Amino acid sequence: MSNDVAVEARAACKVYGQGAGAVTALGGVSLVIRKGEFFTLLGPSGCGKTTLLKLIAGFESPSSGQILLDGQDITFDPPNTRPVNTVFQSYALFPHLTVAENIGFGLKMLGRPKAEVAETVTRMLALVRLEKMADRKPVQLSGGQQQRVALARALAPAPKVLLLDEPLSALDLKLRKEMQIELKRLQVETGITFIFVTHDQEEALTMSDRIGVMQAGHLLQVGDPRTIYTRPANRFVASFIGESNFLTGTLSGSDLTLDAGPRMPVERADNAPVSGHVTAAIRPEQIRISSDAGSGIAAKVLDTVYFGTDTHCVLALSDGTEITVRLQSPVSGDVGLQTGSQVTLTFEPGALIVLPEVA
Amino acid sequence: MADRSFSISRLPGFATIAVIVFVLLYLPIAMLVIFSFNAGDSVAIWEGFSLRWYPEAWQNEAVKAATLRSLQVATAASLIATGVATMAALGTTRRRATRGQSFVYVMINQPLMVPEIVTGVALLIFFSSIKVITGYQGLGYLILAHAAFCTPFAYLPIRARLEGMDLALETAAADLYASPWQTFRHVTLPLVMPGAVAGLMLAFVTSLDDVVITEFVKSAGQDTLPTYMLAQIRRSVSADINAISTLLLLLTVVLLTAFFLLTRKRT
Amino acid sequence: MSTPMDPKARAEVRRGWLLSAPALVLLAVGASGPLLIMLVYSFLEAGQYGNVEWVISFKAWFNVVMTRDIFDGTLGFADAHLTIFWRSAKLAFLTTVFCFVVGFPTAWFIATRTPSMRTALLFLITIPFWTNLLIRTFAINQIIRNEGFLNTGLLYLGIIKEPIVMLYTDFAVFIGMTYVYLPLMVLPLFAAIDRFDMRLLQAGYDLYASRWQLLRHVIVPVVKPGIISGSILVFIPALGAYVTPRILGGGRNMMIGNFIELQFGQGRNWPLGAALSVVLLVIVSVALIVYTRFATGGQDKSHG
Ligand SMILES: Nc1ncnc2c1ncn2[C@@H]1O[C@H](COP(=O)(O)OP(=O)(O)O)[C@@H](O)[C@H]1O
Ligand SMILES: [Mg+2]
Repeated sequence: MSNDVAVEARAACKVYGQGAGAVTALGGVSLVIRKGEFFTLLGPSGCGKTTLLKLIAGFESPSSGQILLDGQDITFDPPNTRPVNTVFQSYALFPHLTVAENIGFGLKMLGRPKAEVAETVTRMLALVRLEKMADRKPVQLSGGQQQRVALARALAPAPKVLLLDEPLSALDLKLRKEMQIELKRLQVETGITFIFVTHDQEEALTMSDRIGVMQAGHLLQVGDPRTIYTRPANRFVASFIGESNFLTGTLSGSDLTLDAGPRMPVERADNAPVSGHVTAAIRPEQIRISSDAGSGIAAKVLDTVYFGTDTHCVLALSDGTEITVRLQSPVSGDVGLQTGSQVTLTFEPGALIVLPEVA
Repeated sequence: MADRSFSISRLPGFATIAVIVFVLLYLPIAMLVIFSFNAGDSVAIWEGFSLRWYPEAWQNEAVKAATLRSLQVATAASLIATGVATMAALGTTRRRATRGQSFVYVMINQPLMVPEIVTGVALLIFFSSIKVITGYQGLGYLILAHAAFCTPFAYLPIRARLEGMDLALETAAADLYASPWQTFRHVTLPLVMPGAVAGLMLAFVTSLDDVVITEFVKSAGQDTLPTYMLAQIRRSVSADINAISTLLLLLTVVLLTAFFLLTRKRT
Repeated sequence: MSTPMDPKARAEVRRGWLLSAPALVLLAVGASGPLLIMLVYSFLEAGQYGNVEWVISFKAWFNVVMTRDIFDGTLGFADAHLTIFWRSAKLAFLTTVFCFVVGFPTAWFIATRTPSMRTALLFLITIPFWTNLLIRTFAINQIIRNEGFLNTGLLYLGIIKEPIVMLYTDFAVFIGMTYVYLPLMVLPLFAAIDRFDMRLLQAGYDLYASRWQLLRHVIVPVVKPGIISGSILVFIPALGAYVTPRILGGGRNMMIGNFIELQFGQGRNWPLGAALSVVLLVIVSVALIVYTRFATGGQDKSHG
């Protein structure tokens, strides 16, 4: 069991500064990352993602708690003794060294024979498709190429874990999409455990085996992308990953009587209350609109906004709650919903999920 | 940049004054250089081209000794200054500003803020006591004084270099298994090097050009080239001073051009 | 500032001090420390053959401004000293003003060139700044001396019959100091003008200002920090000038710097020389404090 674990954080706390100016960057995070998985830390800026990576890399030591690598306590080991490598957000390529020297840096510091270093560098250059750039200096490379050098440099010493701190955030959209695919390929090819940090939920959903959602120094939910998206553990996760509409009502059994009227079937998230007045979430793309009055929730169209492939329709329920519905834009014409018109909203059972109360 | 087709930034007479300033700035120096090749010994009447003043100056034992002494002092002083300035720059940059840091900064820049004559007098007083106590009369005093006032000149480019350096580079080195010493040796030092070389050159030029402090600190028979020239100019003007000046100017311009290219390349 | 630090930060601070220590020692021994010893010397008696007697005395300070008549022992102002102070202040001031008058158009000219031209012109200004002050002063000496280039030329052209005596006058010192310190005025002025937003001029013209009004009401106020830095950078070395008055002013037209030197040479009055140096240092420090207050708008202080 435990030899399946790559990295483990046990109640890791990090407080920067002391006294009145102290900032709690991590408030006791416990986390298990499995060998060979692509794990993503997702959360808004300032929630402590970088800090957690620094504790694993050894650039900072925790105020309390432990970090384990392969079951061994490495909490206070200096970074140069940990078989963990980092791809920095700024790349941090050595400007005075060539691409090849950058990639070979780690192995050279480890004192590996020259031939082995040269061989690995050649292999890494091929892996990131930069064979022709070996003798260039970093300034002579484009942003995307620098990114790949940073990757190759971190992969060259074959670390047990690769840490990537928002590595794609400096790239433009098109390049970012390409690099997402490239990163995933590299991870599969090398089999190395990746811990990837991003604040971009789409990036997290498309690339990860599992995602850990963080907020304000705490880990809120860990799970595979589908679970995170369809079964958000709380209101923060539901609104941070994708968009959500929130409805209130009274729960009894598996039925929710909405404050806006009708009684609808619901699912319950873990730790959600079993009865009483509750909040439930539903994704905008899981709601359907029909113009004939039938069984469903009555609503009034407030506005429709064209987004290209999608059209967003904003509606108001009878109790005033605003709901956004995402529709596919038709090939020609608009979605045919007049502002002010009365419609009925329906959805599949299981789309509406009761969330735990906010602590 | 402003739209210049409008010529909105042109102010009447400014260009004329500027051109005159540039001409007048270089005219005296140009005359001095030109007349160092004068066949006659006038500094105003051209009597034909000749290189006679150069060998003549060099055959003067006093000039030779002063030149060697100048180079000796400048080399030693600029090396010391660059060494301590590099260390100080490593100790004062790339971290949170503290009160101690600005103290170091003020101390290092102090020679720039005190008139040279005052520093000269203070050193004369201080060293005269030391000379009495220790009996040592050597070049050490000059080297020490020069090293001190050259330190700010060495410090500035090194500090600028370090401040422009990405802090993550050293973290990256540690991440890639470099020990603190290896990090210094393979990352920090090579990156600081251009700054240190630039600092060394500025310090060298500064030391080589100093007159006032040297005049006060030197013991008898310790003339450097500038103090030798100062004494000569007061006595009489002979054209070999022009030759010496020309060579000194040439050395300065070469070092400065190198400095300029060195510091410009990275931007 | 007094927030306690974690061990890592404290180790970093200690490392900073250790690395700075050699520089601090060097400067304490080779620059700052001797200033304190100099202060002590200003309160001692002059020795008969130079140096000092270790007797506390305020004579040197007294002598800075007052003198006792050799014949009747009455007390009076030391006119010779005051003349030298006055000449130094006057020359330094005139030099500063004239440097500004020609330096401002020059800096403006440089700042409004194309980037490559700008770099070249700046380099041209920087070279004299770094080249030997002695050589530059000497070059002026050669131009203006009686048998120098200027007089020879004028005589040759028949404009004058007798050489004009320029060397060893206050005028020569003024011209020489303007020449050697001009780069110190142009560089900070350039830096300030370079940051000046030329669109302000468009706005000014748009509001019916003449060129002169623009200069007076828009440009000068905006580049004021540069003007102050440049003025201080010229005034301080001009006030303490030693080489230029010595080579161009001769023995009679001394400035403070030369007068101080005299006390350590023929004057054999080290305490007076020390006291005069302290006076000069105080004047310069006041100028520097004024400079940091005005030129940086007092903002620098918050970095402490
Ligand atoms: N060296 C530091 N000193 C003080 N506070 C810090 C330091 N590094 C990070 N913080 C604070 O800790 C919190 C978490 O930061 P970080 O881990 O960088 O967040 P993220 O990477 O998720 O954006 C933030 O509030 C940040 O301001
Ligand atoms: Mg971060």
